[in-house]
Amino acid sequence: MVKRFMSWLSDPLGRIGLLIAFLAVFSGAAFGLYTTQTAPPQPIQFPHNLHVGLGIQCLYCHPGAYRQASAGLPTETKCWGCHQQLSKYADGTVALPAELQKLKAYVDANKPIQWVPVAQVPDFVHFNHRPHIAAGLNCENCHGDMSKVTVAENPQVINMGWCLECHRARTVDNPEKRTKLLDCGTCHY
Amino acid sequence: MTTELKIPEFSANFAESGQQGKWGMAIDMDICTGCQACVAACAMENNVPFVGEADSGYGRSMHWIRTERFWEGEFPEIKMTPYQPMLCQQCGHAPCEPVCPAFATVHSQSEALNLQVYNRCVGTRYCANNCPYQVRSFNWRDFERPEPLPNQFNPDVTVRRRGVMEKCTFCIQRIHRAEDQAKSEGREIADGEFTTACAQACPADAIVFGRIDDPESAVSKLARGSRGFHMLEELGTLPSVTYLKAG
Repeated sequence: MVKRFMSWLSDPLGRIGLLIAFLAVFSGAAFGLYTTQTAPPQPIQFPHNLHVGLGIQCLYCHPGAYRQASAGLPTETKCWGCHQQLSKYADGTVALPAELQKLKAYVDANKPIQWVPVAQVPDFVHFNHRPHIAAGLNCENCHGDMSKVTVAENPQVINMGWCLECHRARTVDNPEKRTKLLDCGTCHY
Repeated sequence: MTTELKIPEFSANFAESGQQGKWGMAIDMDICTGCQACVAACAMENNVPFVGEADSGYGRSMHWIRTERFWEGEFPEIKMTPYQPMLCQQCGHAPCEPVCPAFATVHSQSEALNLQVYNRCVGTRYCANNCPYQVRSFNWRDFERPEPLPNQFNPDVTVRRRGVMEKCTFCIQRIHRAEDQAKSEGREIADGEFTTACAQACPADAIVFGRIDDPESAVSKLARGSRGFHMLEELGTLPSVTYLKAG
């Protein structure tokens, strides 16, 4: 078996075949990894930088972060609540841009915007925003500086090592809290 | 990191080295009517799959809580023993924990519960074989949930996949929710503020859940009473569930 494989390897065609097989597996793995690290396509190309630049607080559109597990994604009525008041569009001096026309279509059809969550954890992880905000963390500590990105993307890989790194560093002088924050059952159930 | 892992080892006096529970349950076998409401409520709360007839025939039925009944005497002179809801006893010194090669069955130091970490579980089933209460169930398949059943999934609980072990968690998602709520309001959890799905569903209030380490809680008072006993106490597993004898 090994001998046959070796003789097959000495054949140039065999080597090319092996190279192609290796490349196929490698590029497949690389693509798989790439898809986990790129931002998913969104129904509306929402410019975070513009909104943060206008001084709108994160919690205005993602109010859940302050009081519950999920930060929440804004509904079409929430977006439209502000956007319908923009007088330059309302009096017709400036035509509604393409992305806002999409929003208006959602509002007119009374259909929810199917935002795609970007910062996600697997099903077996139960993340809660509230204690993190209560502990004095700011949104940008995990989600990066949103004034520099347009469509939401992850600034880093969200994995358990990254979570625990922070949990360890912040509980060095508090054994009770450390036990709680390093306990499997705190996130996995 | 290794210093934080507490791996229990078998020894002659192991009952003394076990951890006393934080959460506890008292089940009154005198009140229990065996109506199975707790079984149904538990399955709904914790996304327990429906195994079906064929797999149940192989002994692969999945329940986190079951109502046990036994017969005494020979037919026709039979007498039934009281119904006994059986669930994970959340042992202070659990036999399931030291046998797991993947540390998927670990003791929660902060909540004093036996955890099952699904993403670590590799499905050796050692823990179920070492459990004297036979309360662990294994996902032999990705059991089918026809529409519209997926609509009633509890989002706070993992939907387990094939090849992992699972068991009662004392509704740890409710514990976390209540703790989080209490913490946000800057107070301690009051006794009876929340309860497990089985205790909530019990129409006869035969199941009482609460802090076992608080001597003033309802469950502690019941557990201290003369009727209280622990299942297979002689094994030294330090169960957190206290059964109250009938009569």
